[in-house]
Amino acid sequence: MTFALKLELPSDPELLGVVRSVVQQLATVTGFSDEECRGITVAVDEAVTNIIRHAYQDRHDQAIGLVCQRRDDRLEFILTDSGLPVDPQRLREKPLGELRGGGLGTHIIQQVMDQVHYERLPEGNRLRLVKYLKHKDAGGE
Amino acid sequence: MKASTRQVGNATVVDIVGAIDLHSSPDLRKLLLETVREKAAPRVVVNLQRVDYIDSSGIAALVEGLKTSMGLKSRFVLCGLGPAVREVLKLTQLITVFQVCENEEQALRA
Repeated sequence: MTFALKLELPSDPELLGVVRSVVQQLATVTGFSDEECRGITVAVDEAVTNIIRHAYQDRHDQAIGLVCQRRDDRLEFILTDSGLPVDPQRLREKPLGELRGGGLGTHIIQQVMDQVHYERLPEGNRLRLVKYLKHKDAGGE
Repeated sequence: MKASTRQVGNATVVDIVGAIDLHSSPDLRKLLLETVREKAAPRVVVNLQRVDYIDSSGIAALVEGLKTSMGLKSRFVLCGLGPAVREVLKLTQLITVFQVCENEEQALRA
């Protein structure tokens, strides 16, 4: 079963719980294990948190788009915002010892998700996260 | 998230309930630093038994509490970690940085 859920929410940290509920339920019905569901949930939460903190500099009234796409073999999450560009240094996989100044959230995203792709578009940032079901063919798109 | 402190012998126990995320972690950070610095507790036990979610900002608050306590030569112990907390601590590879006990009783003796 393929479908998409589209959310548009303000960059208010109080709504992170709503995002987590949606993602957790979606991951569960897609067939991920409990541990994978928790990992996917924290990864998407961290991605939204990064948008609030870094792209929007802790402004709580800006728009965040979250599209959750369920496909037969994977879940995809596309996060969009119109904030500041992402510092490429933040996306670089760093040894944990270098994470003193932040970057734990990005590290978690990279550990959990199978694909992490960031694009800077004219209208803002776009982050695509993909997690494949293990028991299905993980042959890509 | 709700967080409170209580005294057990010479230890201060921090009880946390609910989700620790970007919304709630500033309150947790404040409480931990107040507990470590102002109460000058020789032992701080953070009971996470009723925490069902933690993100990197929550982990950062715990790390800050730990670092502050190390500077003051007090002990900072985590206990009651459920799967959600344990997995995020493992993902960040910070679980080895903390003294972790199964339950509060052990943490008070650690």
